[in-house]
Amino acid sequence: MGQLIAQLEKKAHHLRVEMFEMCVRAKTGHVTSSLSCMDILIALYHGGLLLHNPEDPDWGGRDRLILSKGQGSPALYTVLADVGFFDKKDLDSFAQKEGKFGVHLQKDVPGVEITSGSLGQGFGVAAGIALAAKMNRELFLTYVIVGDGELYEGSMWETAMFASHNNLNNLVTIVDRNYLCVTDFTEDLIKLEPLKEKWISFGWDVKKIDGHSYEEIFSSLNSIRSRRSCKPLVIIADTAKGEGIESLSDLPLWHGQAPVKEDEIRECRNDLERRFNSE
Amino acid sequence: MISKGDLTVNNTISQRDAFLTKVYELMAKDKDVIVMTADMGAPALDKIRKDFPGQFVNIGIAEQNAIAVASGLVLEGKKVFVYAIAAFITLRCLELIRVENAIMDIPLTIVGVGVGFGYESAGPTHFLLEDLAVMRSMPNITIHSITDSIMASKIAEISYDFGHTNYVRIDRHTPPDIYNDNHDFTQGFSVLREGDGIYIISTGIMTHQALKIAEKLNKNGINIGVIDLYTLPINVEPFVETVKLANKLVSLEEHFLPGGLGSSVLEVLNDNCVSIPVKRLGLSIKDGYCYRYGGREDVRNHYKLDEGNIEEEIKSFIG
Repeated sequence: MGQLIAQLEKKAHHLRVEMFEMCVRAKTGHVTSSLSCMDILIALYHGGLLLHNPEDPDWGGRDRLILSKGQGSPALYTVLADVGFFDKKDLDSFAQKEGKFGVHLQKDVPGVEITSGSLGQGFGVAAGIALAAKMNRELFLTYVIVGDGELYEGSMWETAMFASHNNLNNLVTIVDRNYLCVTDFTEDLIKLEPLKEKWISFGWDVKKIDGHSYEEIFSSLNSIRSRRSCKPLVIIADTAKGEGIESLSDLPLWHGQAPVKEDEIRECRNDLERRFNSE
Repeated sequence: MISKGDLTVNNTISQRDAFLTKVYELMAKDKDVIVMTADMGAPALDKIRKDFPGQFVNIGIAEQNAIAVASGLVLEGKKVFVYAIAAFITLRCLELIRVENAIMDIPLTIVGVGVGFGYESAGPTHFLLEDLAVMRSMPNITIHSITDSIMASKIAEISYDFGHTNYVRIDRHTPPDIYNDNHDFTQGFSVLREGDGIYIISTGIMTHQALKIAEKLNKNGINIGVIDLYTLPINVEPFVETVKLANKLVSLEEHFLPGGLGSSVLEVLNDNCVSIPVKRLGLSIKDGYCYRYGGREDVRNHYKLDEGNIEEEIKSFIG
């Protein structure tokens, strides 16, 4: 396990750089939102947690991964390309005129299940997929990654109630808890805490982890297919919005953009290297 | 090109029960047919709930979640009918419909009951006077505006493999059936009554008003035709072919005028260089929303859309 984690951390560094450079080229993309969920995506795709087949993206037995926080698409696109769902060259034209995909998530990209970007919707679609799996007696899991800011959407709690009432224990929700929205920290904006208790009261099993610790991501998901509970599971993953780039990390108003000034870009690159060398 | 409606009057069941009865048959044939309801009650729905518990989902009073969860079910091969109060399943969750069903083109059958002033004593929150304008403004969505129980049943049947999202607007009231069982609805409109160059183009429950008024005018020597327009967007070519030689047209809808049926007709005529005077009869937004509890005709009267006012408007228009 230790060896795998070391490999994944190295992988995470390379993919953070790829994602960052992709957004710098395009002069857009939600860099910080992508960085907060990057390790989770890498653990799912490269850590053997998520059943998938890049040769056959629509393979019926695959686990469904719904990125409900569609602004994290640069992270998912980078990981999907790395796993082999499409050519890495496609990343070069991200969010550009000839590009195949842009700032938010797009359904027709191989490996992508739904279009998202409007918050509060992918979660409900994921619940529908999980319900269909139950009806069809299929064993795949439905993972859905939601942003913590997304939890302000009322529809999220409609779905949360529905999923637990219907015993959707095949639905795994990961809250990318980076504590930041666009303009402010969640707890200053409108308090989300006590978040764990909210989910418990909605009938969910809850685990709280460090979303940048591969040990903790694995320990929360390793036995996921043999889980006995009939409740859906939510993993509240504490993350940093901008993980890996200190100069962007955990700062309000860095949402939804890529650095464009030369000195900022240079500083970000230095941050990425420094972070890697310190590991 | 014209499919002529057969004006036979049957002993009618409600549009809702006709629709759901057909859906029941589809469910019996295909276990992938799912009915989702937002806490609605109906005899036909009770039967579905009882006989197909594994194909029935009561989502509760949560229309946003209904659209999202239903769309997720469709992605996994289910054929889903979402049944709810029309005002809420269209307008409350419009942006979800836009993303899931218009942008992603996930085919869903959205069945809204109680269009227009159907919930007559429930007040303006339950009236639905904007859905034609809103739902026809998005790609990948077709509107079926139901006129009678025969049409309700036929549209339920074609919803099964419609391929795109089908918004079915059902009236709460049960006017008599005007179509025969074999009527073909694929054209999107039917000429129910021929006229001497003048037609009322109407939709849903107002087609029954149109027929009544046409009958009345006919007794006074004014021969006016009636076209029931039940599918939007309009099936342009046959529609233009049908109306292009008319002298005057009247559109009639229990809906606010901006963007509604009359607007649809005007757009098609204009885009096809057909120049015919059209009088749009519907609800003026200048009259706002209203709180009136004297029944549907009384609410219509507030907007001058009751039978007497319509008749006068038509008479003065045709001169």
